[in-house]
Amino acid sequence: MYTRRYLKNLFNMNTSSPADGITTPYQVSATRMEIDKFIVPTVTIFIGLMLCFFMLLPLSAILKLSFFEGGQFGLANFTLANFQKYFTTSYTLNALWHSLYVSVATTIIVTVIVFFFAYAMTRTTMAGKTFFRNVIMMPLIAPSIVQALALIYLFGRNGLITAHLLKIDWNIYGATGIIVSEVLYCLPHAFVILFTTLSAVDIRLDEAAESLGATPFKVFTRITLPSAKYGIFSAAALTFNLTITDFGNPTVIGANYNVLATEIYAQVTNLYRFDLGATISIILLVPSLMAFMLNYYISRKTFSMISGAAKPVIPPSRPLKKISYTIYCSLITFAIFLVFATVIIGSFVKIWPYDWSLTLEHYSFPSIGGYSAIWTSVWVSLIVGIAGAFLTLVAGYIMETRRPFFKQGIYLLSVMPAAIPGLVMGLGYILAFNKPYYIFYGTPWIIVINIVICNFTLGILASISNLRNIDPSIEEASISLGGDTLRTFFKIIFPLSRVAFFQNFVYFFMRSMTTISAVIFLVSATVHLAAIEIIMLDNDGWTASANAMCTCIIVIVLVMLGILQIADKKTGKRSQGMIPET
Amino acid sequence: METSSKQLVLENISKHFGSLVAVQGVDLVIDPGEFICFLGPSGCGKTTLLRIITGFEQQTAGDIIYDGNVINDVIPQKRDFGIVFQSYALFPNMTVYQNVAFGLKMRRMPKNLIDERVSEILQLVGLAAWEQHYPSQLSGGQQQRVALGRAIAIKPKVLLLDEPLSALDAKIRIRLRVVIKKLQEELGVTMIYVTHDQEEALALADRVVIMRDGEIRQIGSPWEIYKKPRTSFIAEFVGTSNFITGKKKNGNVQFGRLELAVSNINDTSSDKIYLAIRPENIERVDEAAPPGTYLPSNVIEVEAEVINFLGAIVRVTFILEKEEMFVDIPEKEFEKINLKRKGKLKLYFPPDAFHVYSEIFKKLI
Repeated sequence: MYTRRYLKNLFNMNTSSPADGITTPYQVSATRMEIDKFIVPTVTIFIGLMLCFFMLLPLSAILKLSFFEGGQFGLANFTLANFQKYFTTSYTLNALWHSLYVSVATTIIVTVIVFFFAYAMTRTTMAGKTFFRNVIMMPLIAPSIVQALALIYLFGRNGLITAHLLKIDWNIYGATGIIVSEVLYCLPHAFVILFTTLSAVDIRLDEAAESLGATPFKVFTRITLPSAKYGIFSAAALTFNLTITDFGNPTVIGANYNVLATEIYAQVTNLYRFDLGATISIILLVPSLMAFMLNYYISRKTFSMISGAAKPVIPPSRPLKKISYTIYCSLITFAIFLVFATVIIGSFVKIWPYDWSLTLEHYSFPSIGGYSAIWTSVWVSLIVGIAGAFLTLVAGYIMETRRPFFKQGIYLLSVMPAAIPGLVMGLGYILAFNKPYYIFYGTPWIIVINIVICNFTLGILASISNLRNIDPSIEEASISLGGDTLRTFFKIIFPLSRVAFFQNFVYFFMRSMTTISAVIFLVSATVHLAAIEIIMLDNDGWTASANAMCTCIIVIVLVMLGILQIADKKTGKRSQGMIPET
Repeated sequence: METSSKQLVLENISKHFGSLVAVQGVDLVIDPGEFICFLGPSGCGKTTLLRIITGFEQQTAGDIIYDGNVINDVIPQKRDFGIVFQSYALFPNMTVYQNVAFGLKMRRMPKNLIDERVSEILQLVGLAAWEQHYPSQLSGGQQQRVALGRAIAIKPKVLLLDEPLSALDAKIRIRLRVVIKKLQEELGVTMIYVTHDQEEALALADRVVIMRDGEIRQIGSPWEIYKKPRTSFIAEFVGTSNFITGKKKNGNVQFGRLELAVSNINDTSSDKIYLAIRPENIERVDEAAPPGTYLPSNVIEVEAEVINFLGAIVRVTFILEKEEMFVDIPEKEFEKINLKRKGKLKLYFPPDAFHVYSEIFKKLI
C-alpha cells in the first residue's frame, strides 16, 4: 500500500523527484482555448449563411419573378398581372381545382385507411404485425412514380386487368389514377404518425372506460378517436402536402388532368414561361404552407396520455376482430406488393401484357446511354448522404448543446425547407443560380446542394433528438477535464452519435435516390439522374425500361438498407458485457 | 498560514434566473485540504452554487477568488477543478484507461507518463484489473470510482462532487463513502461535496454548509450543526426534532397546560417561543434515581401511541398537548421496561436539551 508521503508527492504537480524527471507542469493550451471561443459562432454563421444562400435566395428569385415586372425588383415594377393572367386562363386555373380535389380526396382516403391499419397494429393481437409494419413502409424505397407505372401496367389502356382480364374499356388515367397512386405513395408517411400517436395513447384508458361500463363502440368514439385527434390532423396535413406537391405520379398517369405541379413543369420546360411557372409556384406554396403550419402548430400542442414506463399488454382480441383486421391489413399490403411486383416483373417481361417471355433487354437502356444515369445517381446520393448527415449533425450539435446567438433564427431557417415544395425549390435554383459566376450550376453539385437543403429539416430534427439522449454531463465532464469544442465533438459526441449519423446517412441517400420533384429542373443534357430518366423513358414510350430503371433504384436502396442493418448489429455488440459484482 | 494561499473564497455570490433567485449572498472561505459539504433540500441552490464554482454557470454578482486571484472569467477548462457528476458522465465510447487518461491527454502529457499516472490512479481506486473495460461493463459503484479517478488524475486544485452517490444502493453508498473519505485524507485535496443526504454530510465533512432557499443558514462542523442548530429548519432537517410552540411566562415556557423550564429562553425577545428537542435527549425517568435529579415541572407522564422498533433504538410516539412527539429509547433499556401500546411512560425533558427559536420554519409538504 502507498504511504501517505508518497501520495502527497503523487499529488504535487511540480515535484521534480528523480522518479518522474519532469519539472514543467502540464497545462491546457491557452491558445487552443482562445481559438475555441470562435468555433461555435463561426460554424453557426456558416450554417446560417448556407441556409440563407441556398434556400432564401432561390425563394426570393421566385417571388421576384412572379410579383415584379420582368423580374426586376422595384416598387414601380410590382405587379399582379401574372396572377391575374393565371386566374383568368381557365386551363391553368383548372390545375388549381384539380390539385385541391385530388389532394383532399387522397387525404381523406389515406387517413381513414391508415388509421385502421395503425389501430390494428396497436390495439389488436393479430398475428404478423411486424410483417405488416414493414410492408407498409415499402413505398419509401422507390420514387413516387412506381405506383403510377404499376397502375398503368394493370389498369391502363393495355392494362393486364382492365383490357385483358375484364376486357372493359375503362382505364385509370386521369384523376382516378392520380388519387390511387398518391394514396399508395402516402401510406407510409401517414402510418408513421398515426402509429406513434396510437402507441402513445395509453391502452389502459380504454380499459378504464370499459370497466366503467362503456361499450366498445363508445370506447372507440369517446376515448380512442379523440385522443388520437392531433395525430389524425397531423397525418392529414402531411398527406395533403405530399400529394399537392408531388410531380412524379401525376405526370405519368395524369394524362390531360393537369395539376399545379405538372403545370409548373409544363410552363417552364415546354413553354419557357418562367414567370408563369414562378406564379404557379407561389399559388402552390399557399396550400402547402398552410398544411405545413397546421402540422407545426399541432405538433406543438400534442399532449401524450402516457402513464408509467412499461408498455401495457394489449388484451387478447376476439377472433372475429382478429380475422377481420387481418383480412383488412392483408388487402392493403397486397396492394402495395402488387405495385412493386408489377413494376419488377414488368421490367423482365418482353412485351407486357402480351409476350410473357423473360428478358433482360429492357435493362440495357440504349436510348439513354446505358447505366450512366444510375452511376451519377449513386455517387450523388453517396455525397448527399455524407454531407447531409454530417451537416445536420453539426447543426444539431450547435443548436442543442450550446447556446449560440441566433439560435432561434437558425432553427427557423432549418425548419423552412420542409415547408417548401421540392418543385418550387428546384425552379428557384435555376432562376437564382443561372449565372456564369455560379460555377456549380449545370453540374451535379447543384443537385447535391439542392437535395441536402430540401431534406435538411428532418435530418436536423433527428440529430437534435438523438443528441438529447446523450447525458449533458458528459460534455461538461469533457470541458472540466480541459476538452475544447472540437475535441469534445470528434472524440465523444460523434462516436456516440454513430448510429444516428448512419441512419441519417441512409435517409439522405434514400431521399436522393428517389426524389423527383426537387431535381426535375436541375438535370441537364450532361447530368442525368436515374429517377428522372424513368419519366423520360416513359415519355418516350420505353415503359418497360422505365420499370427497369425503377427496379434498379429499388435494388440500390435495399442494398443500402441492408448495409445499415449489418452495421447496426456490429455496433450493437460493442455495448454488451456482463455486469460483475462491485 | 497566509490568508490567500490556495484558499477558495466566495464573496457575496448571488445568482438570478430572471426573477427566480437561486443563490443569494453566499460568503464562504474554504481552506486548502478541507472537506466541505453543501447540504440542503432540493432546490436550495447547492448545485447551482457548485456549478458557479466550476464555471458552468456565471454568477449574477459576487466574486470567486482562488489563491488570491479572481477567477470569475476563467473558463471551466482552465480552472483545473476536478468534477465528479451524479450520473458519473463517463465517456461510454472509451475504456476505463481512456477515460482516466482524458484530462492528461488534453494537457499533452507524454504517453509513458500518462500510462504511469493512470495505473497509479486505478490502483488507488481499486480498479487496476478493469483498465480495458468499457463503462457499460462496470457496476454503478465501479463507474463512480472511475469517475473519481478521472477527476483526480489531473491533480485538480479543488475536487467538486455533485451528489455522486445518490444513484447507488444504500450499502454501496456507505462503502464508497469510506473510499472517498480515505482518498481525500490521503491526497489532502480540497473537496466540496454536494448532497441532500444529511447522514452522508455528517459522516464525511470537516465542515457542513447548510443551505436553504439559496442562502447559507449555518456553517459548522457536523458536531456543531447537530448539537447547536441555528434555525428551527436545521433542527428539523438534520436528525429529528420534536417541536413545541409556547409562550414565555414567568421565566418558563407555557405549553398548553404545562409550564416547562427551559434554559436560554432569554436569547429570544418575542413572546411566542418555539422549542425543539431531539427524541434521544428526552430521558426516561428512572424511579430509582435520587430526589432532585429531575426538575418536577419537566417530568411528564405520557401514553405510548405507537412503538417502532428501529434496531438499535426504539422510537415511541406519544401525544403531548395534542402534539405528536417521539422519544428514542435505547433498545437494551426498552427491553427492561416492557412497554406496550397505550402503556404509561414517565419522561423527563431536561431544560438544557431544548433549542430555542423565535421563528418556526414552514413545513415542506
